[in-house]
Amino acid sequence: MVTNSRPFSIKRMPGFSLLALACFFALYMPLAPLVFYSFNAGNNIALWEGLSLRWYVAAWENDLVQSAAIRSVVVAVIASVVATSLATMAALGTTRTRPYRGQTSIYAMVNQPLMVPEIVTAVALLILFALIKESTGYHGYAYLVSAHTAFCIPFAYLPIRARLEGMDRVLEAAAADLYATPWRTFTKVTLPLLLPGILAGAMLAFVISLDDVVITEFVKSAGQDTLPTYMLGQLRRTITPEINAISTVLLGVSVVMVAIIFFLSRKKT
Amino acid sequence: MKTIFNSILSSLVLAVSGAAMAAGELNLYNWGNYTSPELIEKFEKETGIKVTITDYDSNETALAKVRAGGHGFDLAVPSHSHLPIWVSEGLIANPRVDQMPNFKNVAEEWRNPDWDPGRQYSAPWQWGSVGVMVDTSVYNGDINTFGIILDPPEELIGKINVAPEMNDVISSALLYLGGEACSGDKELLKKARDKLVEAKPKWKSMDYGVIEKFAGRDLAASLYWNGAAFRARLKNPDVRYGYPKEGYSLWADAVVLLKDAKNVEEAKTFMNFIMAPENAGLMSAFARYANSIVGSEKYMPEDMATAPEVVVPQEFIGAGKFYPTCSPEVQKIYTAIWTELQK
Repeated sequence: MVTNSRPFSIKRMPGFSLLALACFFALYMPLAPLVFYSFNAGNNIALWEGLSLRWYVAAWENDLVQSAAIRSVVVAVIASVVATSLATMAALGTTRTRPYRGQTSIYAMVNQPLMVPEIVTAVALLILFALIKESTGYHGYAYLVSAHTAFCIPFAYLPIRARLEGMDRVLEAAAADLYATPWRTFTKVTLPLLLPGILAGAMLAFVISLDDVVITEFVKSAGQDTLPTYMLGQLRRTITPEINAISTVLLGVSVVMVAIIFFLSRKKT
Repeated sequence: MKTIFNSILSSLVLAVSGAAMAAGELNLYNWGNYTSPELIEKFEKETGIKVTITDYDSNETALAKVRAGGHGFDLAVPSHSHLPIWVSEGLIANPRVDQMPNFKNVAEEWRNPDWDPGRQYSAPWQWGSVGVMVDTSVYNGDINTFGIILDPPEELIGKINVAPEMNDVISSALLYLGGEACSGDKELLKKARDKLVEAKPKWKSMDYGVIEKFAGRDLAASLYWNGAAFRARLKNPDVRYGYPKEGYSLWADAVVLLKDAKNVEEAKTFMNFIMAPENAGLMSAFARYANSIVGSEKYMPEDMATAPEVVVPQEFIGAGKFYPTCSPEVQKIYTAIWTELQK
């Protein structure tokens, strides 16, 4: 008899920590110089001339950066709210029903934006929206918002669905036993339990929308540069650490959001 | 803070109402970081027309969006190599730039370029060339040749960079060997390939962003564009720009009026506006490339108005030429050579 029989865990495989460290290193090392040079006092992105926050100030005071950043946030907020609402309904519809024909294909359809290469979606939207723009003459933000909403849905859907599947269905059955109407069961039992999943999904959707460049570049109308497309446009000429500063702030926002998602989804009820 | 609040408000209003196409608006679709904010401010002040700028990052992106239609832009700024495509596909209107009042300021040599005969379609924006940058403290022989890159002198070996632009690199090799860019001569293309493959081990890198590296003296030579050479010299006074005598290619970007523009009069006003010397000077002062307007030097910063990288010295003018995009067959051979060079 083996006395010390612990369940298998990948953490105890030989070389695990070393491999994990190497992976983290490869993933995050390239970001270090970017962040480092954002604090450069000099004009360029490869020659260190001392510590300074001047590029953060320059980015903050740049009207184009400001309006692009605000546009990014407005689009991301609207898109993530709409996407999360739709994703919640989709998640309920694919888990809280009796199994029905085509359930798997619905699941596949909801997640389609994860599978189709982004450039394909971008070109397809470019052509479709061009037709609509030509026939209606409307050039507003609806195109950008609906495109962002569409590709954000699976990112919101996955954490919500995971949470729904992990939830104890006995609680909902108990509420029904106690004569709660389906609506009351939903608002008093399902929704509160689901909330961390919804929040995690919404934040993920927000970050995905905020970072998008390919689809936005193709869909945007006149005057609709977001922060990432603005940054892309800067690359043809010499880039200054201002771009590093903006990137560092974007990186910071993403890290904070992902950390919040982690803590929200970790809490078991 | 107030501006932020205002822009949030206006974004929201726009989101609700859609960009209403009121009179006195202009939508300019241009390369990123290429439009002088002072120029736009001056234009808005003088004409009362509100300008919205949207960025693109390549000729292909711009072409794709405008081809699809429904883009809402009035003006775009394609490169000379792509301009004939815009014309032949009927994407742009003919505003008769040559009859605009300020056309008289356009320099003689820019009035009838091959890529826009009679200059009816496009108003000049900025232009530059593909040549060689050399740190003359490392090598002080003749720098006006692509030999610097393709048959490098001893001192420069291992300190050479080449811009990672397929067309510019292969065309330069063809010119060096006595041919023309985009030449369909297979024999010559093969020679160009051999020359490039032979030279490559003597190079250090194929990269953008050379200005810092010349400033830090990590590089001593590069196949590159004149604007960067000028900025590198301001940081490292030993840097010089060579105009290869065997021939070098020029590029130019020009403003065109899109066929489905909504604000045609405003757009024409803008095209005329940028051909005035004081405005063209502002334009160059920002992007640091030359324009084609006589008398604009007076409105450029001192260091620029006399820079040999910007104002091509008389003896080198003849060697520079514009080349269109290569034919699809030649493009294929270019790509094959390029792929081999990347190994």
